[in-house]
Amino acid sequence: MIATDIISDGLFAAVAAMGFGSISDPPMRAFPYIAILAAVGHAARYCLMNFLGVDIVSASLVAAFIIGTGSVFFGRKVFCPMTVLYIPALLPMVPGTYAYKTVFSLIMFFQEISSPTRGSEYLQEMIFNGAVSFSVLFMLAVGATVPVFLLRERANSMTRGSRFI
Amino acid sequence: MTQKNVTGIADFIARYLSYMLGAGVHTSRVVRNSKRIGSALGVGVSIHTSQKTATLTVSDAEDGIKDTRVIDIPAFPISFEWNADLSALSWAAHDRQMTLEEIESRFDEIVARPKMNPIFVLFMASLANASFCRLFGGDIWAMLITFTATMIGFFTRQHLTRKKVNHYIVFIVSAFVASICASTALALGIETAEIALATSVLYLVPGVPLINGLIDITDGHIQIGISRLVNAFMLIICIAIGMSVTLMLVKDSLL
Repeated sequence: MIATDIISDGLFAAVAAMGFGSISDPPMRAFPYIAILAAVGHAARYCLMNFLGVDIVSASLVAAFIIGTGSVFFGRKVFCPMTVLYIPALLPMVPGTYAYKTVFSLIMFFQEISSPTRGSEYLQEMIFNGAVSFSVLFMLAVGATVPVFLLRERANSMTRGSRFI
Repeated sequence: MTQKNVTGIADFIARYLSYMLGAGVHTSRVVRNSKRIGSALGVGVSIHTSQKTATLTVSDAEDGIKDTRVIDIPAFPISFEWNADLSALSWAAHDRQMTLEEIESRFDEIVARPKMNPIFVLFMASLANASFCRLFGGDIWAMLITFTATMIGFFTRQHLTRKKVNHYIVFIVSAFVASICASTALALGIETAEIALATSVLYLVPGVPLINGLIDITDGHIQIGISRLVNAFMLIICIAIGMSVTLMLVKDSLL
């Protein structure tokens, strides 16, 4: 049961990454690797959060680091810069529900502005959700970018010798 | 080298870097690639970039010839394919000792390649948002509604972009259209309706400028990095505005 949960999580993340990736016009040869990276990254975050009790921010950082490192190795195979592979792969980890709740609480705060108790509850909820969504977004970008600095030489010559031009 | 040669090289590098910056490639890669092409052709290249313009100097140190110009950066749709293949072109110029004419004709070939079919993109983006809904815990009905809502919203976005409407307005309108379509889930009494509503606008998230902005800042191109981040945050605010209109309309059934 646990295994199916993890696999289905990875599978849906892969579909989401390929779909969001297609908006940015990637080369066709990159799609399989975008899917693999997204599935591994998202499944890793799922495991960290559900089985090891890690919070969403740290888990996102670790997952983004895995995706970033993976893109260094896959990028060489398909002659794509790292960003082409890891930006779509990171998108399924965007904290959508937290972002939604941030906006919703803000709207409700405006509605309840004359009632100090309920108004401040919504304001508190907005700060709570806003802090989570901002931190997760920030950590996703940082986690995936760190491997670029660690493996600079390799990361900068990814497209050398490409057969596709 | 004569002035004419240097001007010819500057013409090409100006085009190359404006295409790359316009298609959403992070700054240090553009600078590195342009310098690589320059050194393959035997000239030095210095670049200053900002969000809408770039300054370029191409110089031949031996004969003391320089060509400096300010370039407008056109707003192309983001293209990872250009990113990958134009980067590869700079390596090819470096490794294979190509002449300027060869590089130029290869460049024209790469940028003339057809883009991904918009209907395929529409379908893929809708499928992506539906899977996203599942990741957040939506049931099959919520997924179906998200799929449809995204399709309508994304179609609106494509249509308005083609009409050259201001992109902030495009984002507000598409976020509103997608979320109002998704709010039908509330009327249908679906259990995870709120998740459908929350995910329906996520196809708009400007992931590329967000991450590029952060990469630029860490690479030391702080000014353009901040510009990109500000741009991304403006777009996120637009998504929030579009969604707020829907939430105002349906908030009573959400409480």
